[in-house]
Amino acid sequence: MLLLFLAGAALEKRLITYPLTDSRWHDITYWDELPANAPPAWTNALARQKSAVSLLSAPTRRTEETSGSARLVTDVFSYEYRYDLPPRDLLIHFRAAGDMPVALTLTRPDGEEITLSREQVAGAEGTDVRISLDRSAGQAAFGLLQEHEPADVMAGADADRIRPTSVLFAQGAPGMLANPVALKGTYQITLLAVESTEKARISDESLSVVGRVSGLLGTDSSRRDLWSGVVAGIKWALLIGLLTAFVSVGIGVIWGVTAAYFGGAVNWLMQRIFEIFSNQPLLPLLIVISAVFKPSIWFLILIMSVFFWTGPVKAVYALALQIREETFIEASRALGARSRRIIFRHMVPLLIPYAFASMALSVPGAVVYESTVSLLGLGDSSIVTWGQVLHDAFTGGAVLGGLWWWVVPPGLMISLMGMTFSFIGFAMDAILHPKLRVR
Amino acid sequence: MTVENLSLHYLTRRGAVRAVDDVSFQLTRGETLGLVGESGCGKTSLATALLAMPSPPGRIVSGRILVEGTDILTLPEPALRSRIRWEKISMVFQGAMNSLTPVYTVGRQMRETLQRHRPASRAEAESLIERYVRLVGLPPEVVHRYPHELSGGMKQRVVIAAALFLEPRIVVMDEPTTALDVIVQAQILNTIKELKTALDLSLIFITHDLATEAEVADRILVMYAGRVVETAANEHVFGGEACHPYTAMLLAATPRLHRRASGLAFIPGTPPDLLDPPKGCRFRARCPFAFARCGEEPPLREVSPGHEVACWRFE
Amino acid sequence: MTGGGALLAVSDLAVSFSVRRSLRQVLAGQRSLVRAVDGISFGVGRQEILGLIGESGCGKTTTGRLVMKLLRPSAGSISFDGMDITRASGMEAARYRRRAQMIFQDPYASMNPRFRVRDVLAEPLSIHRVGAGRRERAGLIEKALAEVKLEPVEEYLDRFPHMLSGGQRQRVATARALILSPELLIADEPVSMIDLSTRAEILAMMKEVQRARGLSILYITHDISTARFFADRLAVMYLGRIVETGSPEDIVERPAHPYTRALISAVPEPEPGRVKTIRALPISGEVPSAARIPPGCRFHPRCPSATEHCRRDPEPVLEDVGPGHAAACRRWKEI
Repeated sequence: MLLLFLAGAALEKRLITYPLTDSRWHDITYWDELPANAPPAWTNALARQKSAVSLLSAPTRRTEETSGSARLVTDVFSYEYRYDLPPRDLLIHFRAAGDMPVALTLTRPDGEEITLSREQVAGAEGTDVRISLDRSAGQAAFGLLQEHEPADVMAGADADRIRPTSVLFAQGAPGMLANPVALKGTYQITLLAVESTEKARISDESLSVVGRVSGLLGTDSSRRDLWSGVVAGIKWALLIGLLTAFVSVGIGVIWGVTAAYFGGAVNWLMQRIFEIFSNQPLLPLLIVISAVFKPSIWFLILIMSVFFWTGPVKAVYALALQIREETFIEASRALGARSRRIIFRHMVPLLIPYAFASMALSVPGAVVYESTVSLLGLGDSSIVTWGQVLHDAFTGGAVLGGLWWWVVPPGLMISLMGMTFSFIGFAMDAILHPKLRVR
Repeated sequence: MTVENLSLHYLTRRGAVRAVDDVSFQLTRGETLGLVGESGCGKTSLATALLAMPSPPGRIVSGRILVEGTDILTLPEPALRSRIRWEKISMVFQGAMNSLTPVYTVGRQMRETLQRHRPASRAEAESLIERYVRLVGLPPEVVHRYPHELSGGMKQRVVIAAALFLEPRIVVMDEPTTALDVIVQAQILNTIKELKTALDLSLIFITHDLATEAEVADRILVMYAGRVVETAANEHVFGGEACHPYTAMLLAATPRLHRRASGLAFIPGTPPDLLDPPKGCRFRARCPFAFARCGEEPPLREVSPGHEVACWRFE
Repeated sequence: MTGGGALLAVSDLAVSFSVRRSLRQVLAGQRSLVRAVDGISFGVGRQEILGLIGESGCGKTTTGRLVMKLLRPSAGSISFDGMDITRASGMEAARYRRRAQMIFQDPYASMNPRFRVRDVLAEPLSIHRVGAGRRERAGLIEKALAEVKLEPVEEYLDRFPHMLSGGQRQRVATARALILSPELLIADEPVSMIDLSTRAEILAMMKEVQRARGLSILYITHDISTARFFADRLAVMYLGRIVETGSPEDIVERPAHPYTRALISAVPEPEPGRVKTIRALPISGEVPSAARIPPGCRFHPRCPSATEHCRRDPEPVLEDVGPGHAAACRRWKEI
């Protein structure tokens, strides 16, 4: 399990489909190509009616013809439509330099050719152009409807309210407005661009199908691919968990050992400080601090470490007391060793196995605390964490809207990570305890 | 008691550790047989075997132990428990004084042991216990004490009393005085001698200290690496007639208080690994007298009446 | 004893621990004081081995720790090479620790089980910053191992304690004590946890080292027989006090104090013909608790020759009974 997490974090760049997830989580434009609130693609396997899946494709065929001073660029995109429910939108992207007229045509499997749109693109050097069927092909869709539907149905139809893709992908037959039946087959979308001037150039053409279902874990209301979000969250969870665990256990062990070694007044003082810290209710404190200071993740980790260290102290104290009575400690003292040497060269190394077990058990706690804080909307908004995703899910009405793919994965990941480290911790505990008797 | 060809092996993952390898000896009535050897020679294993109680993963793989004509190794466990152990043969374990539970009084622990073997009313048990407590030289109030309130010597006497109160004929004592101070040790040895004559016991006294054996044993059995290398009367061993090189070297290594010896001898090397004992005489590697024939295991042969040695030098 | 005065001199040294008994006594405000060491004085000369013998609970181990400054005395003084080190601390104590070292009873427990032999021996060097560089330190370590006859050295450097036999471990402990070239060695039961057959070997090695380096050794043990051969002088302790001092021969053949006599008579001897005899032990009862030391001569409840005076008169001190032989008993002539 842990290996999976580590692999996930390490291979994140390769795994996630949208590599800039982290920094662009809150950037709407980055996610524009995706449908909103789309369930994961694999749900198609379970649904009776298959929905179109989002995909991105390059042109199947690209031709350039020169006629006179102008160049004619023709891109043909092939799209296999095998679904029952059409995509929400089709987007054609390209990069344009200079002015050029552009035409978009759709060739349906039943042979009908529909001109989707004609536009004049005016672009300065290298502008990104996006043509959306949803926005531009309304008229074309309306026209198709008119061909097939009787007049009375057409009377009640409103061109602006029709979803182009619902029509364009439906079989041409009466009743296609109200109950479209999917026309399955290969569609071809042809992009025709005329590079009329010397400087006009078109490049990087691509077709983006905005499906009804998308990605491995669907999307949220802001069109963000949740798979990327969840995978991006792995590294943060690992970081938060491990860093907090490491720092807090480090402090805790040294604290416990020092208190045990010196005893007397030093021990008394350390115990009192320990009690002050361990009695603090951490969660409310975290919430208040987060609300007031809007901390970054590093600050959050710091705060958590400052309180987590109390966890291992008691056990370490007991163990250290035992070790202190060992003859080899006395022998070291007889050799003239100073306290610092005895603590750091003898006692602490003997406690390292226990420290690791303790660290493993601290990780879930840290992850959950951070998730809770983020869930309440108080977390660090510059990064993606599972808690954040959950927060957005709740505020975005995921639960009410039945968008299970938004709520379940991050929650599951939090649990899994907690479980993973807990099991590791328990296993280490079980192995180490009998051996912990120094001998 | 007669022991014939007894072998006890510990069956470990790496193989059979031959802790006791084909040991034979006899214990005559009213005799104290001293079993002596270093740590790891098999004497404690042999002791557990004598009560047919090898500690796991040990197993008695061959041999017979005849007590009053019966081979106790053939008896089933319930019979052993009810008729043999503690009734005919009892044992004082090594470190037994530390195995007394600190939670119950000494008297209660003794009573529990007694009642497990003999159905007796509380009053009967207590009077029997009191008798034996006195016999070992302790004041009867001791039964009301907890183990941690007693000294080492007192605890050991309690354990000895518990081994005796069912009136066995044979008592096996494994290092009963090793953990005690020298004065207490001497006192307990005196007590043991008195008990032996008073109760007509036959003892098997196990220790690694030859000097202690000299004080208690009528006959000495020297063990090395799981085998018996010499059996001889006390006078022979300590009178300078010991034959086996190991015995001689062990004697030389035993410090004496009053002799004017200039220094102590020691035996270089370490005992062999009982997982895979060497071929031939097991003491060969450390023996200063080893010669060609030692490549073959010497049998235990009588060199003079009552004196047996397993060494080729005496053929 | 060679010239130059005693290397180590202890005067009226005492230490006691307070022990709470029962709730009743706590409420009554009583505290038991365990007088583990109750005023002892002795000296260890240069290049001399002093054997401190006694049974368990007599305070000999505590004395060792006091001399090693692992415990703080409640009274008395310790002086080393003429300097009073009783209350030394910090730099002074560190300097003392370079010149006096200790070997413990349990060779396995006295080494950190996670340290290799190399690390065990490097520790004192690193504590006292001896040895300029790694190579020099490695050289010192190898020499130390060779001195205790653990050769070939390479075979032992990387081993952990659990890979060594008892005798080997004690050799490593000895090497560790010697690596700083001390002048005084305190050996607390160094061979009591080692097999009989190797005991003599270890003691022989220690004696050889002592002779070669001219060390003084305070040899603490309960085994009188080995002490007789190992030590140049003996001191017998009982219940926190020294009751007799003298040469090994004096102590063993002509014991003056009744306790010493009982001790000597109790030692078993590997001689024939002892089976039939019940040994006469001129002592009765058990050692009393150090929290309740008997009044007067502390041995009197167990002494076969005790009189009323032994209980009422103040505790006897060491007085000469022969050349270099002293005992703390006023009636030694009559007994």
